[in-house]
Amino acid sequence: MSLTERLYEAARPIWDAQLEHPFVKGIGDGSLPPETFKRWVLQDYRYLKEFSRIFAWAVAKAQRLESMGWYAQVLNMTLNTEMALHRSYAARFEITPEELEATVMWPTTRAYTDFLVRTAADGDMSELLAALLPCAWGYLHIGQALADGAPPEDQRYRDWIEQYASDEFAEAGDWLRTELDREARDVTPEKEERLREIFLLSSRYELRFWDMCWNGESW
Amino acid sequence: MSFIAQQDQRLAPLWKAIRSHRFLADTRDGTIPDQTFATWLRQDYLFVEAAIPFIAALIPRAPTQHWGPLAGVISALEKELKLFEERAAQVGVQLRGAPPSFTCHAYVQFLLATAHTRSYAEGYTVLYAAERAYHESWLVVKDGLAPDSPWMPFVENWAGEDFAGYVTYLEGELETLAEAAGPAERVRMAELYRLTLLYEVAFWEMASTAEGWPGVEDDLAPVTQGPNWNPDPSKTLEGAWTHMTQPDPTGEDGT
Repeated sequence: MSLTERLYEAARPIWDAQLEHPFVKGIGDGSLPPETFKRWVLQDYRYLKEFSRIFAWAVAKAQRLESMGWYAQVLNMTLNTEMALHRSYAARFEITPEELEATVMWPTTRAYTDFLVRTAADGDMSELLAALLPCAWGYLHIGQALADGAPPEDQRYRDWIEQYASDEFAEAGDWLRTELDREARDVTPEKEERLREIFLLSSRYELRFWDMCWNGESW
Repeated sequence: MSFIAQQDQRLAPLWKAIRSHRFLADTRDGTIPDQTFATWLRQDYLFVEAAIPFIAALIPRAPTQHWGPLAGVISALEKELKLFEERAAQVGVQLRGAPPSFTCHAYVQFLLATAHTRSYAEGYTVLYAAERAYHESWLVVKDGLAPDSPWMPFVENWAGEDFAGYVTYLEGELETLAEAAGPAERVRMAELYRLTLLYEVAFWEMASTAEGWPGVEDDLAPVTQGPNWNPDPSKTLEGAWTHMTQPDPTGEDGT
């Protein structure tokens, strides 16, 4: 069993809880009120902005030229394509770019992004990857699970599912998993425990992010 | 009006929330439940541990005259950890092994992310706000705490003269940094000041409610060893902070 498979097994209860979360299920069956979903659109925009910084660190920390190039591409795509796509998607919920930019990070968003940024800054490549995989791989996991069910009526939710269940997203997830398995191929048990801890923490933050969007949050 | 005075005026409700928190009043009055104080001991131990790399991460961007004082802060934090260990051992609390609560984890990540991604003045703002909040909080406890309380060493550390001098030193340095900062950086410093105070309030609240990590079971691992409070205020951190306000004996600081 590879390291990423072991990490997945360790985090499985948290990942399963995400699939069962009313916010996620509500996207899948279309029952989620758009007003509630807007919380995700706003907070995820702020999240994405911080998430992109991790790829900048990955470019700086990767050893192989191929890896550096891949992370640079993802960084470019996130900053110059994905954020624009997110703004277009937000417009379908009548959220303006100004609203997106002015959104205050709620406590969970801030804590999660601070955790990612801090790990990217002071961790090594394997730690950085363990921190970001529960987002990149986790959204794929959710997207694919929802895509297996009947599509929701609301086209906006259909597009959301389609994006995260897409082949491109799956390829990126696979690439990151392969990277982590390679980076951590000869890890000591202590190091694997550290990676497991990071992976579980990000998984918990992912679950908490759905909670935050479902319930609302404030400082 | 100085930068700090401006912020204090703006953030008066937060300062009030800190000073009036029931955790402090109950500690002072000796009515705090043992397990509640044990929660704080374990979580704050994790926080102080993380404060060391926070300070270390500030040093590369610090002006040279701050290198020595910041190194002194690390040394003082190591002594604080020993104080926690001594107090916990004295009262039979198992200090190590508790996973961080959400608030503790979030606050620690905030410190480290700030140190890694923000300007030195912004990082210093967080340092000042956190240290001053501790000083002010323990002044509340000091005012009425029974002399034989097992928590007197914490009062002597954070509400003592050495720590007061250290906070005053930080205040002066922060004002200098704020004066040199541009308007945009001052706005960011002000926001970080506010966030730090919000985390301070949240930390006392977390300790009071044993918050853990909502949505995740067994987050605060069961601690089998119960508290056995036994007052022994003999251990103090006397002198730990004194060197912070004393000039570098080599005379080479700031050059």
